[in-house]
Amino acid sequence: MVIDIALGCLAVAIVLATVRIVRGPTLGDRITGFDFLGVNLAVLVVVVALRTGFTDFLDAALVLSVLGFLSTVALALYLLHGRVMK
Amino acid sequence: MTRLRTTPIRAWHGAQRTTRCLARRRGIAASVAVGWAGVALAQDVSAEEAVLRSNLGAEVLILIGSVFLLLAAIGVLRFPDFYTRLHASTKLVTLGGIGIFGGSAIAFSADGATARVLLIAVFYLVTAPLSGYMIARAGYLRGLPPAKEETSVDEWGALGAATEEFEEPVGGANDA
Repeated sequence: MVIDIALGCLAVAIVLATVRIVRGPTLGDRITGFDFLGVNLAVLVVVVALRTGFTDFLDAALVLSVLGFLSTVALALYLLHGRVMK
Repeated sequence: MTRLRTTPIRAWHGAQRTTRCLARRRGIAASVAVGWAGVALAQDVSAEEAVLRSNLGAEVLILIGSVFLLLAAIGVLRFPDFYTRLHASTKLVTLGGIGIFGGSAIAFSADGATARVLLIAVFYLVTAPLSGYMIARAGYLRGLPPAKEETSVDEWGALGAATEEFEEPVGGANDA
């Protein structure tokens, strides 16, 4: 029951973050929404692992969080310098 | 005379049909309700048997975390400004992540997966403020406007720190 409520909250949060990414007036708003979306996806995978009892999803959640952090850093560097690498 | 006799009979038949129909409908409704409850109970039992095992602390932590993530989403959507949106995202997401990862670590303790959940939680707690800091710094140095100009004081620019560290961009990253 609690897991279903959590899944609903996370689904609504992902939809709202997508709306912010589409509608964000600046690039910084879009990067913020993208960071939030990546975190929500990792948490959603953890909650799905709780729901199904299939603990191999936790590795997928770890990979998703690492990818979200690296892409956020790359996007922030692009926002700052106009390019990702020197 | 015949009308007087047939009308009560028709009424009686109608009443019989109505009660039978109602009874059938009630039976259908009752069976649907019982079947739905059975399916829900079976799903609940399978989900609870999988991990939760009616662990109250884990349930409360997961509920708190998901509610805070929902509030963070509402803040990201509704706040007027880049900086306030980033504030809502970073702070509330940290709290929600603590709640959900802590609850999952408690709930997975019987399956031996607590170490992996705690690894995700530690990685997340290290990297979330870092990414928030990088986004805020990049947005500030690019000069993204606050919602109210009269409440903003550019202390870093007054110190000269922004001008000596900031380079001219190559591409067109600023579509503000």
